[in-house]
Amino acid sequence: MAAAGPENVPPFIAAQLSHLLSHFGLTVKVEQMWSSDKYNSTPLDRFTLLIPYCLDFIKWDVIYDAESPNTAPDVIFSPEDDDFHPFHMFPSSSEPANNCLSDWNYKDPTRLLTLIQYLRDQYVLYQRKRVGEVDDDRLTFEISTILSREGIEMHMSSGAEKSEEVKFAVPLLDMNINKMVACCPWRYSQRIYLQVVYPVGRKYMSVPSAPRLKLVSSPELKAVFSIDDVKLPPWLDGMCLAEYLPNLEEYLGKQVLEAVSLIEVRRHFIEALSSPLGRPVEADAVFCRKATFLAASGVFSFLVHLLIPTQFPKQQPAIMLQSSQHFNSQMAPMKSRVMSDYPWSPRWEPSMMAERICDFLADEALNFKRQCSEGQVQ
Amino acid sequence: MDDQPLQKIAISGPTLASLIQRFSTSPSSLHGLLFGHVTPLPLTLSDDDDDTSSSATLLAIVTGFLTSPSFHDSSGTVLPSSLPTSSPLLGWFSARRRSPLRPSMREFSVTSSLSSLSQFSSQIQNPNSISSESSLFPPCIFLLLASPSSSDHHHSHVHTHEYRAFQFRPASLSFEPRSLDVVNIGPAFRGHYGAFAPNSNLPPLDCGPHDSPMISDGGDETMGKMKQATKDQRELNQCAEGFEVGRLSRMMGSEAKNYTEGLEELYQKMLVKIENLSGLVEKSSAMVIEQENHNRKLKHKILRSAASE
Repeated sequence: MAAAGPENVPPFIAAQLSHLLSHFGLTVKVEQMWSSDKYNSTPLDRFTLLIPYCLDFIKWDVIYDAESPNTAPDVIFSPEDDDFHPFHMFPSSSEPANNCLSDWNYKDPTRLLTLIQYLRDQYVLYQRKRVGEVDDDRLTFEISTILSREGIEMHMSSGAEKSEEVKFAVPLLDMNINKMVACCPWRYSQRIYLQVVYPVGRKYMSVPSAPRLKLVSSPELKAVFSIDDVKLPPWLDGMCLAEYLPNLEEYLGKQVLEAVSLIEVRRHFIEALSSPLGRPVEADAVFCRKATFLAASGVFSFLVHLLIPTQFPKQQPAIMLQSSQHFNSQMAPMKSRVMSDYPWSPRWEPSMMAERICDFLADEALNFKRQCSEGQVQ
Repeated sequence: MDDQPLQKIAISGPTLASLIQRFSTSPSSLHGLLFGHVTPLPLTLSDDDDDTSSSATLLAIVTGFLTSPSFHDSSGTVLPSSLPTSSPLLGWFSARRRSPLRPSMREFSVTSSLSSLSQFSSQIQNPNSISSESSLFPPCIFLLLASPSSSDHHHSHVHTHEYRAFQFRPASLSFEPRSLDVVNIGPAFRGHYGAFAPNSNLPPLDCGPHDSPMISDGGDETMGKMKQATKDQRELNQCAEGFEVGRLSRMMGSEAKNYTEGLEELYQKMLVKIENLSGLVEKSSAMVIEQENHNRKLKHKILRSAASE
């Protein structure tokens, strides 16, 4: 929609929405914005929010009315949450909660955030209540052991076509990874979660099946530590989460510490490279995953791009060369293939690694130059 | 018992049409109150009565609506003082453009708040009940109107309006969808006309045959009579323009059949009255719309100046 520019959002809505997007503790996204106007596609006064919940998203439509800005927005929840009534959660109400709506002030940019935060908190309780009502002995037991974990979220999914499932998002490791990384650029706190999915028990099954387990982390964490490399310990028959989690956390904690310590190893390696190759043209100073050097072989000068894996030095860096003198038909500089099959040993000292890479580059430069002049590369 | 399940909700075609018309011409969302009455459904003589359907025997008939901008606050709490007390309240409606056809957070709160106001419950009209005990029906009906939120409809000449009706059940704190019958002309709706109860009736006028030539023995009495006559005439004028009360008396009694043209004239005058009224309504509506547009322009001006600050 061409009209979806920020200039078409009424200023009071824009102020509240941008405050929400920049100050909410989680990454909230706007899926779409549209107008309630019958004839025009502006002003944009309704939008769909994607709010992270239980390693998934909940979609809520926020309905403002550009015609009456003094009125608080209304919210329409997803169809599967039609019995979620945030202001009527506990009958016989001692609910003072209405006041985030009742004294609405459209000029206050923090109001939408307060409302969404309140609604999400209520949603956590609502899902917890739904899961608590499931008639399944194993589930009841598991909940009783992990409920005290801070930040745990659960979700009950039931659809006509799907079988019932209960999903947990268990936050793991009580460590602040952001603090462990020097000059950390991350806005949100990095966490690792274990997703546990239980099929809701059928009475005739004698041995409960193992839950589906999966590690999930925030995407930014990949710069330091890839959870895809973690092999989950096996779930033994008759096990419960309270038994499983401590081992997993201990194991995972060691891995994270090691991954963080590897940042320094990579830094030393880049520093070692700069003695034969000169100062890097460009380098990732925080995570030390990338470095680019300018090199020359005779009169042929070229860039050397190094992509250093998180598993360095166990895995060797990938090298790509880029000519400063040869261009393809689209006027883009010619590049070599990504090479990670040159001689390597993780046991070498950083200076040795740098030396061997330089030896390899000396040979490869001639190859690359020839390929460039023959137009064999991209 | 104050929380009886409805089997369905009925609304007359013109009422629904006028509601949709009001919605589609309104510049923004719209909400207001629904009026009508609740009656028991006529018993159906079928052998295979299952338990669920036999428990719901009530029919709610929506006969009118009133758009009302402010009968609740922004948290959805109904302000009882802003509700009319004279007409039987069935519930409320919300019409919002380009949004999903599901009750929203505030609509839930408003419905829950409104249906808890027992002082606005209406009597269930039960012509068959002999006992004087009559049950009450709380204002728990919610009618939701929406137009699709997809942007394809934006520049199209097709206007889609969707609606759903619900009964709010305070015990379970939930909306239960109810089918909405649009009452129309035709054999399928004969039942409705059988149960029709007129509610616009002539005032009780003193138009009994003045056959006894009463000896007027006091000035006071004649004065009283004259006063009564003018009062009656005024009341009659509210229904029919320019019809004398005195002529009403001739339409009763044995001679009435000779005055059919008198009756026709009465109807004629009633129609004239209605026509004049509708003319006035049209004029005042035009003025209201003009004023509303003016207000909107002012509001936009204020918003723009507030934004530029």
